Amino acid sequence: MLSSGGLTRRAFMMGTTAGLAATALGAGRAAAQAIPAAINDIPKGGTFRWIDSGDQKAVFYKKFFADYAKDRGIEIVYDALPWNEIAQVVPLGVRNNSAHDVFALPQNVNPADAVAQGWVQPYDDFIPNIAEWKASFPAGAFLPGINEFDGKTYGLPFTSNKRYGTHLLYNRAYMEAAGYDPEDKPLTWSDFRDAAKKITDAGKGRYFGFIIGGNQLGRWSQTVRNMGRMAGASAGGDSVIEADIDFRTGDYVFDSDQYIAAIELLIAMQADGSVFPGIMSMNAPQARAYMPQGAAGMILQGPWNIGGWEGQNPEFDFGVSSGPVPDDGPTGKLTIGQGALAPNTMWLFKGSELGPIVGDIFHYLGTVEGQTAWANIVGAGDPPIFPEALDNAEMSGRSKAILQHFNELIRVGPNPVVGNAELGKVIGAFQAPEVNFARTVQGLVAGELKGVAQEMKALKDRYNASLDAAFAAAKADGAAVDRSDLVFANWNPDADFGSADY
Amino acid sequence: MFETLHRYRYHYLMLLPGLILGGMFVFYPIFAACYYAMHDWSGFNSDKVFVGLGNFVKLFNDPIFWDAFRRSLIFLLGTVPLQMTVSLVLAVLLNNQLLKMSTWFRTMIFLPVVTPVAVIGIIWTFLLSPFNGPVNGLLLDLGLISRPVDFLGSTDTVMPSVIGVYVWKWLGITMIYWLAALQTVPDDVYDSAKLDRCRGAKLVWYIILPIVLPFAIAITLISAVGALNVFPLIMSMTNGGPFFASEVMEIFIYRTAFATGDGSIPRLGYAAAAGVFFGFVVLSLTIAQAIATRRARSGAREISS
Repeated sequence: MLSSGGLTRRAFMMGTTAGLAATALGAGRAAAQAIPAAINDIPKGGTFRWIDSGDQKAVFYKKFFADYAKDRGIEIVYDALPWNEIAQVVPLGVRNNSAHDVFALPQNVNPADAVAQGWVQPYDDFIPNIAEWKASFPAGAFLPGINEFDGKTYGLPFTSNKRYGTHLLYNRAYMEAAGYDPEDKPLTWSDFRDAAKKITDAGKGRYFGFIIGGNQLGRWSQTVRNMGRMAGASAGGDSVIEADIDFRTGDYVFDSDQYIAAIELLIAMQADGSVFPGIMSMNAPQARAYMPQGAAGMILQGPWNIGGWEGQNPEFDFGVSSGPVPDDGPTGKLTIGQGALAPNTMWLFKGSELGPIVGDIFHYLGTVEGQTAWANIVGAGDPPIFPEALDNAEMSGRSKAILQHFNELIRVGPNPVVGNAELGKVIGAFQAPEVNFARTVQGLVAGELKGVAQEMKALKDRYNASLDAAFAAAKADGAAVDRSDLVFANWNPDADFGSADY
Repeated sequence: MFETLHRYRYHYLMLLPGLILGGMFVFYPIFAACYYAMHDWSGFNSDKVFVGLGNFVKLFNDPIFWDAFRRSLIFLLGTVPLQMTVSLVLAVLLNNQLLKMSTWFRTMIFLPVVTPVAVIGIIWTFLLSPFNGPVNGLLLDLGLISRPVDFLGSTDTVMPSVIGVYVWKWLGITMIYWLAALQTVPDDVYDSAKLDRCRGAKLVWYIILPIVLPFAIAITLISAVGALNVFPLIMSMTNGGPFFASEVMEIFIYRTAFATGDGSIPRLGYAAAAGVFFGFVVLSLTIAQAIATRRARSGAREISS
């Protein structure tokens, strides 16, 4: 009701057109998905189970698994759960020997640890000519210490790392009324605050400028990290021992001017009254669900919303653009680690007896056909790792625009584990401070903590202590590691860091 | 001895199912928790290191643990007196058989008790929502507030809000306990009071309350132990947030055991130590209640005789 009340006729027409296009595209995609011939003898009986974090991935898998199960004459259960539930379900399943056949690793479990602890098994034996199959992936997809261990292949890297989860998604009608066009020119930090205020004023309590799932702690750290990095704080951003570390010095950047300014901006927007009330008690999916209802004008989230909204809320006219840039224009790139997107990498449970099915599915997902089928449905949400699949795929204008933005903004940085695989032991031993980065930002925005600069300095000290302790524990465990392994003096944050640069 | 065992073999046989189930679901978990509490262990790998009382030492020096413990006590002190008082008033009113629709009122007040906690939590999250939530809508319409209150998202209001929901949810069961207690007051005591012109508050304060005091202590204990077991309600409403503001002991134990945060490793051993400590606190409450009930019972006997 709110959204229709706030929509202009132009916006409505654009939304309707987009919706019809999406529906037509969806129909085409549904018909196009074909199941290839099996590469293994498929065992009958038993139920094959797969678990991941869902979102737009679930749209693909629900269709694919239904078709696949019918074709192969087997039963498949697909579970899509939020990360905090994966963190409980997967470890308990492994411990009770009842885990899903294929799972995404909880975000606090390092692959090296999962292999060492016998959670997962290699799938080399389940894909004939696996070397040839792996060679068809882009360089850097399979890396020792990341998804290969002792010469065996453990993880399936089938989606690209080249994306970030805090770009701007906005209600076009509200934004137009506020006098901004982020698709034409990215919002600066000042614009972002001003647009949020103007939208809130126009909403008169019916809708607000900015929304964030503040109960989901990771949203706070990701938002500040990416805003800070785009403002020029150079830091890595993938695994626990490299996120927020400036590879040129090996030190944390929590107390950098950019991180502090990003937090102060969020606090100021909260003080302006431009932030949706109730953010601290809602998670990211709840926050994103308010957008198509017209309850908020802007959200900093990931590309996985695009396909979801286009498919489920075709009447919602929204725009996508870069996350807010500093007032004097874009100054920093976002760094991703070398390799595939870690949270989407899939693993074969050690106790699974359905390896031939896993090999059959993994193989398909690692072909141009599988990758194209994936890209047709998932789009920019979780881009496929094969660049040619992106070229082949039919995607909406928004998806193409955001992928182009990712290409312009994101650079591949060093991956310390590639430099020294024994850092896996440090990751395994690293225990983040209890009041971690995400909680600190939440506490500052909620007003429970005071003084951004001193809190961020204290946070840096806590992380340094935790990291030192993790290095000490890894060394005590026999690992040849040193904090200098996190220093890459030749790193240029504006350029890709290639294999030759290590 | 063997002769005795043989003679009562069927008795022992009858005890066996209870012993097995109790062993599996009560005694084993208690011993396992104590065992794990003495290990530095994530719970999911084989690297289990014996640390003796090390986890307890860490725990007692952990300000976040004490904050969670303090919040559990605040929750207990915030809920139990309120729950006891309101439910007693309701029970006294509804104990009057002449009150019209008393059964209907009892049923309505009891209804939240039989509704699953998670459902209650989710429904109240919507009711208290600052955006289109009916509670805020009402307060705005009445002109009591000018801007919606973020009941569950503000560190100032989250605990009172959860306490309110908890009391509402469990009011019915405490009221039933009080009703049962009130029905133990003999009719001749009421008749004697009537003859002595003792009515209303005087009757409740001087006659009824001393008689039902042993029940009051038992009800207090049941309510107190209940108030320390609020995991599903808080998980479904706030997840312990914002910024630890509603993180009571159980949420602390859960978060430490499963460590869902960025870069955190689960610490089952540490969580078990917190659980053991918390278990002792609850056990102490139970023992204190047993002693108090015994003393109160002897006092009540004197009044009723």
